[in-house]
Amino acid sequence: MNADASSYLAALTTLRALIPELIVLSVATIVMTAGPFVKQPRRVWSATAFFTLVVAALALYGVHNITPDPYSSVLLNDAFSGWTRMGFLMAGLVIVLLAHDQVDDARSPEFFGGLMMLHAGAMLVGSANDLVLLFVGLELVSMPTYLLLYLTRRNATTQEASAKYFFLSVFSSGLLLFGLAYLYGIAGVSNLKALSYLCHHLAYVPNPTLGIIAIVFVMAGLGFRVAAVPFHFYAPDVYEASPTIVAALLAWIPKGVGFAAMLRAVTAVFAETEALSQRGAILVYLIAIATMTVGNMLALRQTNLKRLLAYSSIAHAGYLLIGVVAAFRNLPYSPGVTSQATPLVLGAEGVLLYLMTYSLMTLGAFGTIILLSTPERPVESIEDLDGLAKYQPVPALFLALCLFSLAGVPPLAGFWGKLWVFWSALGATSPRSDESGPGLMMSLVIFGGLNAAIGAYYYLRLVVAMYLRPAPEVRLTPRNAWPTALAVGGCATLSLFLGCYPRPLKEASREAGVAAITQPVPSPVSSAPEHPGAEHTALAH
Amino acid sequence: MPMLLALTVLLPLAGALTLFCLPKLDHKVARWVGLGFVLATLGLSVILLRSFENGLSTPQFTLVQQVGERTVYGWTWLGTPDIRFALGLDGVGMGLFALTTFLMVATIFSSWESITERASTHYALLLALEAGLLGLFSSLDVVLFYIFFEFTLIPLFFLIGLYGGPERRRASITFFLYTLVGSLLTLVGVISLVVVAYHGSSQNVLTFSIPELTKLLNDKTMLDWAPWRDLHAWGEWGRFAPFSAAYWDKVKAFYLSPQVLIFLLLFAGFAIKVPLFPFHTWLPLAHVEAPTAGSILLAGVLLKVGGYGLIRFNLGMTPYGAQALFPLLAFLSVAGIIYGALTALAQSDIKKLVAYSSVSHMGFVTLGLFALNPTGIEGATMQMINHGLTTGALFACVGVIYERYHTREMADLGGLWNRMPLFAFFLILSALGSAAVPGLNGFVGEFPILAGMFARSIFWTALAASGMVLGAYYLLLMLQRVLFGPLFEPVHHVVGLGVSAGHSPNESPTPIRPIAWHEIVGLGSLMVPIVLIGVYPKPIFELIKPTTQQVARICDPDRVDRSQVVAAPVPH
Repeated sequence: MNADASSYLAALTTLRALIPELIVLSVATIVMTAGPFVKQPRRVWSATAFFTLVVAALALYGVHNITPDPYSSVLLNDAFSGWTRMGFLMAGLVIVLLAHDQVDDARSPEFFGGLMMLHAGAMLVGSANDLVLLFVGLELVSMPTYLLLYLTRRNATTQEASAKYFFLSVFSSGLLLFGLAYLYGIAGVSNLKALSYLCHHLAYVPNPTLGIIAIVFVMAGLGFRVAAVPFHFYAPDVYEASPTIVAALLAWIPKGVGFAAMLRAVTAVFAETEALSQRGAILVYLIAIATMTVGNMLALRQTNLKRLLAYSSIAHAGYLLIGVVAAFRNLPYSPGVTSQATPLVLGAEGVLLYLMTYSLMTLGAFGTIILLSTPERPVESIEDLDGLAKYQPVPALFLALCLFSLAGVPPLAGFWGKLWVFWSALGATSPRSDESGPGLMMSLVIFGGLNAAIGAYYYLRLVVAMYLRPAPEVRLTPRNAWPTALAVGGCATLSLFLGCYPRPLKEASREAGVAAITQPVPSPVSSAPEHPGAEHTALAH
Repeated sequence: MPMLLALTVLLPLAGALTLFCLPKLDHKVARWVGLGFVLATLGLSVILLRSFENGLSTPQFTLVQQVGERTVYGWTWLGTPDIRFALGLDGVGMGLFALTTFLMVATIFSSWESITERASTHYALLLALEAGLLGLFSSLDVVLFYIFFEFTLIPLFFLIGLYGGPERRRASITFFLYTLVGSLLTLVGVISLVVVAYHGSSQNVLTFSIPELTKLLNDKTMLDWAPWRDLHAWGEWGRFAPFSAAYWDKVKAFYLSPQVLIFLLLFAGFAIKVPLFPFHTWLPLAHVEAPTAGSILLAGVLLKVGGYGLIRFNLGMTPYGAQALFPLLAFLSVAGIIYGALTALAQSDIKKLVAYSSVSHMGFVTLGLFALNPTGIEGATMQMINHGLTTGALFACVGVIYERYHTREMADLGGLWNRMPLFAFFLILSALGSAAVPGLNGFVGEFPILAGMFARSIFWTALAASGMVLGAYYLLLMLQRVLFGPLFEPVHHVVGLGVSAGHSPNESPTPIRPIAWHEIVGLGSLMVPIVLIGVYPKPIFELIKPTTQQVARICDPDRVDRSQVVAAPVPH
């Protein structure tokens, strides 16, 4: 077999693994192009988006056993990418259901087209194995977001919010790109698995100076997306000013892609490297503590629901960062060489499990607000929820389930997220852990526990308003919108069900977590011509 | 039998779901449905109690499998890691399990007439709480235990918040958050224990089973918990501290030794639940605002959760921590006893008085536990059951008074003996039981506690005994004010208008309802064990003895060689 044919085959494999993204992206392009010419009501466009995502999910299942070569392909189709892509698609279905009547007929093709593009980008981030593709995926998420922010409601506050988000996002993309350039400079490869392999097997790689610049800037760029302190300032303003459906989107998608990118491009590369894992862990440790504390403290005094949920999403970014710190301390795992990955929870595993439960409960909470808001009487402050349980028991129950889940009270899904993240941190001691090892982790988890208790206060305030306060004269009337109700009910029920039986969630996260730290043994040097990127791996021997 | 135990735990949950799905049910129907489920659960628990084999310290009614060297309990739940749905009862668990099912009858009867609105939800919450408590006392898996532990917060939050007194919103939030802070720290401690056991066991066993963890963590080789010794490195921060380096070395060798640190983490949650002296501030508020049924369960069972956790985790898994911190723990217990008693003495509200008396009596429980000898731990466990009965009865009595007069102020009441002699008898009996009069149940618990502590430290015992005297004083004073003397009642029918000033001795415009059959049954059922345990406590001692002795063996000061742990070399 000659080199041309094999690289053609490799490209074909890559493209086949990309089929779900390609489906979503092509339908999105068609919808956006056709939008100005074809006048259709919004339910047509939302149904198109819904079924496109369903088809993409089926296609994702269809391609699950295509495995591009990890050291040459620009994308991976491992358990990690499968689980994150499936997560984004499922959450995407919820978002489409929530959004189905949130935009005018005239703007809905652009809205749902943008929504689909954004999901294609998020899926790309989950599967990217190359710095360039990772960045493309992240930008494919950002750019439609600017559009969506501005599209649904065009007034001065929305304008301000979208301008704020736009400038900060572009700035953070710049920071990220700068960091990615240094990441490339460490070993001269842009393939992430190869980079990770080289960092663990070559002496003097990574260079500590280059490496720390890479970590700092990549974390800064991604920190904006996950709304981590000190890049969190935009979140409350933007959430408050933008329509609820976009706020829900912002609370979930950028966080999901941000953490997926962190696990792929930062922790998997630098975990347990002599020079950098300790410094990286301490950097993220400080960000995590600051993020949790700031998010929770500022949420305590909020009266506006969207601002409250914005600060809550900041706080949750903090809990998730605990898992990232732990991921810095997980040894890479090579099938065949190492017997098995540690039975304790991996950092990546904790983060992924938390992310999935977070998507359920936060989309459910925003969804209830959407369900109860009408254009004449939007639900904005906590007082608007007073006595809700007395006259609308079912939406109140759904919201209460999501809130208790956000607070991490068992037997709801949020509890397992917290448990797994805390456990990953406490379990992340390794043979190389030196002085600050368990002490660092222990203090981090204690901080996390105390913060979770503080956080419970503001979720409880909403529960108290709904259940324990008298109902006002002027009452909320939920819209008669079955897709919204279905989405909210689905989120709440799943939170409860997965809280009682978390096994499927845990098993998928485990496989994905192991995949994130897997370093396959590279093929021998003789087969180098078969793989266009293999000269670097040959270097390693 | 394993299925029967699981059924007992899940039956109240089924009842809760049934009632929860029928929110419009009339209270007259709902209370019978609630009673039906409670009695069925009680029946099952009696079957369990009768088939319980005394003399074994291993958990019973559990599904046991042998996997290689290991004994595995219960049903698979999460696969890997092996968190299991493992239920089983040992002596202490069985005692508290039976107590819970028993007290539930009294709670249902105490809300028989008083809850008329949203009654269905009320009984659903009570049953959900019962399910949580039963699950908690029978869990053999740390994660399962923790889930039930925190799950109890939700029904109780709504019970206080929906059916409580005027300050109910504040009370329910305070209760929820206060408990949550502690229990999250406990969670950190529990995970640490699992990780320590994993790293320290010879074959890296990852287990969540409580008996197995207890065994692993108390292996002789595990005493220094080697992989965690580098916590000492934290001590380097001490160079910024404003005292000498030598002193700091002592401090870090002590507090940063892993057992002490993890003991403190576990202790945070359980001490708040008990509640131990400086952490008790949520209790009076929650007790006073809670409806009668909530108060009975809160005092009767929920406080025991703290004591139970201390036995299972703090004493069973971090015995060195308990020993190292003995002076502190004894001080806190005795401070709670005396402070609670003095505060109770100063109350004019009967319910507050009973609430503070709980602080005082639970101080005895922790005192007995931290004596760390068989007598003390046995007495403490006994006292937990006794306190559940007597304080439950006292709260039920307060409920009876409040339903009739809509006041709990002792100044507004007097001579109720003349009005309701049978009720007066119940109140006297439960107050005397609570005051540890010999012949009633309180004495049987408090005497071994003091005897156990006497062997450890005469000083703390003497102080604690003064708390007993104070206890008798405030309870008898309460009896005298409320029951004896000429009949003195507030005017009944004007309460709704806020006029309670006018008293009319010997007559009232609307007749006071005589004590009803459900109150007689509810209170009377509590009186039987109060007397029986006082006269013949042997069956209960035999029930709890194997477990308490096992715990006492674990934390026997001679077994845990303290010098070995403190002097463990610090790696540099």
